[in-house]
Amino acid sequence: MQSQTRIRRWPWIAIGLSLAVAFTLSMVSPADSVQGDLVRIMYVHVPSAWLAYLAFFVTFIGSVAYLITRSLRWDRIAAASAEIGVYFTGLAIALGMTWAKPTWGVWWTWDARLTLTAIMFFVYLGYLALRRTTDDQVLRAGRASVLGVLGAIQIPLVHFSVIWWRTLHQPPSLVRPDGPAIQDPMMLAALIGGVVAFTIVYVSLMVKRIELIHLEDRKVDMESAVERPVAGEAVTAPELGASS
Amino acid sequence: MSGAPLVELSGVGVRIGSSQILRDIDLQIDAGEIVGLFGANGAGKTTALRLIATLIRPAQGRGMVLGADLTSPDRYEIRRRIGMIGHVPGIYPEMTLGENLRYSARLAGVATTKIPEVLAAVGLAGAIDRTAGASSHGMQRRAEFARELMIDRSLLLLDEPHSALDRDAVDLVEGLIERKADEGGAVIIVSHDRDRINAIASRSVELTGGTLT
Amino acid sequence: MTTGFWHQVAAVIERDLLRERRRGDVLWITIPFGAIALLLIPLAVGTDAALLRQIGPGMYWVIVMLFGVLVAVGKASSETLPQQDASSLAGLDPAAGFVGRSVSSGVLLLIFELVVGLVAVGLYNISVIGIPWLVLTLVLAAAGLALLGTLTGAIVNSTSAGTTLVPLLVAPLSVPLLLGATQAYDGLRFGHSILSWVLVMATVVLIVAMIGVLTARPLQET
Repeated sequence: MQSQTRIRRWPWIAIGLSLAVAFTLSMVSPADSVQGDLVRIMYVHVPSAWLAYLAFFVTFIGSVAYLITRSLRWDRIAAASAEIGVYFTGLAIALGMTWAKPTWGVWWTWDARLTLTAIMFFVYLGYLALRRTTDDQVLRAGRASVLGVLGAIQIPLVHFSVIWWRTLHQPPSLVRPDGPAIQDPMMLAALIGGVVAFTIVYVSLMVKRIELIHLEDRKVDMESAVERPVAGEAVTAPELGASS
Repeated sequence: MSGAPLVELSGVGVRIGSSQILRDIDLQIDAGEIVGLFGANGAGKTTALRLIATLIRPAQGRGMVLGADLTSPDRYEIRRRIGMIGHVPGIYPEMTLGENLRYSARLAGVATTKIPEVLAAVGLAGAIDRTAGASSHGMQRRAEFARELMIDRSLLLLDEPHSALDRDAVDLVEGLIERKADEGGAVIIVSHDRDRINAIASRSVELTGGTLT
Repeated sequence: MTTGFWHQVAAVIERDLLRERRRGDVLWITIPFGAIALLLIPLAVGTDAALLRQIGPGMYWVIVMLFGVLVAVGKASSETLPQQDASSLAGLDPAAGFVGRSVSSGVLLLIFELVVGLVAVGLYNISVIGIPWLVLTLVLAAAGLALLGTLTGAIVNSTSAGTTLVPLLVAPLSVPLLLGATQAYDGLRFGHSILSWVLVMATVVLIVAMIGVLTARPLQET
């Protein structure tokens, strides 16, 4: 626990390079024949959504591994991944809505995938809210990992129920939730490039975030070891009328 | 169980949140002992009792209570043999004293027919149908002592047992403590009243700065 | 699971129901709250009888999901630390505590559903159809919500959030129950099979019960 935390620089470089490549690909790829430049939103939206699913899956793995091994390392992985996942879920939803308004004329449509993504966003927002409620590393890890497992196991059920619900109610015909059809190889390259780049961004952010959690925990440890008084020291002999 | 200490802590530390409440606790308690535990307000006495009651996991060190490791699942098996009476009564104010005892008896697998008997033993024979919340603090404490009589305990942990008790009840409690020790159990008493504890305890320990001296 | 386990479950159910009967929180607070919510909706969306009849069942289920969870985290089912300690030292298996508490919350939720349901039927002129299936969905919804509320209540226990966090954690996870209940009602109305929705709800009940029992011990650690 007192070991030095290694501060790595390569994640920043990796993030910079991969985003630069993804940005270039998305800019040089042609505009869509129907949607025009709007299609470029997809090169961020699709990788963000992919990343969100990846991140929440890692949170699930980290939570299960913590419950089995009781090693705080796994809890840190689960926590870091949930944070990144919530951020990219939010980004995917915001970009999806930005794309939907000019394309479909509405900000939101009750498509199964969209609904599921929004529900996932709130499940993991709750997970992060829970983590904020205690400083106790072991208590926090135990509680959060149970929620991490519960959330992840409920998601397939939410998924199926939302899909069945949508198949029963025909969606309005104007609003077609399918993404743009990809016909141009450059567009495909931009999309795949985006997914690869965002995966690199995810790994890099994970490395930095775990570093940071490690530092935060060490700070709490050092404070409790040095500055914080142990029990009992907060109460001293009353000085009122002291005669000794 | 013969010969083995009932409580054996070595180098045990407890953290709550980001603060270290107890550190480097070494304590051995054998059958038949009555141990007084002293310390200033906030010294961690209550935490020490909850640690020995297997209700808090130690963050450091190793501890055995009634043959069970404090971090192993075995501790769930021996809990029934540990009695604890804390500062604040652990009874449900909405239920009557009798219903509270009935609940504890059913959890512990003790015959509920013992309830009138143990209530009479603590002088509450007429209060079985009294709502706990409407009973005085002293009556609630007596009811808790009745619970400890009802469930067969090997280890009794008492936090300020004399507070809120009248003269009769104090005699009762001290009789109970001595009986428990004679039967081969052990009792730990947290108190500020050193004279009274020294009169009945076989030895005493002091908690200062989160550790025992 | 031994007989001791079920004895403990029964003791916990009896305790919770006794405490609720004496306190009356569900009867005097949660049920009136749910009923007044049903009264507020027409004031906001309009009092057109056909519209209310159409949205009534859905509104009813939303209110059950959002307010019903308050039953599971109510005062009668919350305990102080000394009360928890006393139960633990009487030998209460944490898993038995979870099961007992879920059952008692489920019973209270069912009462909540029935009373608020009568109010909804009256106010929105909802037709009551397929009673055996309807009862089954009410029971499954109560069980699922009680389990979710009890489990998340255990998760937030002894953190600073207390029970304010529970509704946020439960709401997104209760989506399969909400969809199951509302779609089952639609299915009954239009004469479709509702078996698949009943199975969705039953699966939620089983999965949450399993997670709750398996994690009861780790969650009790402080």
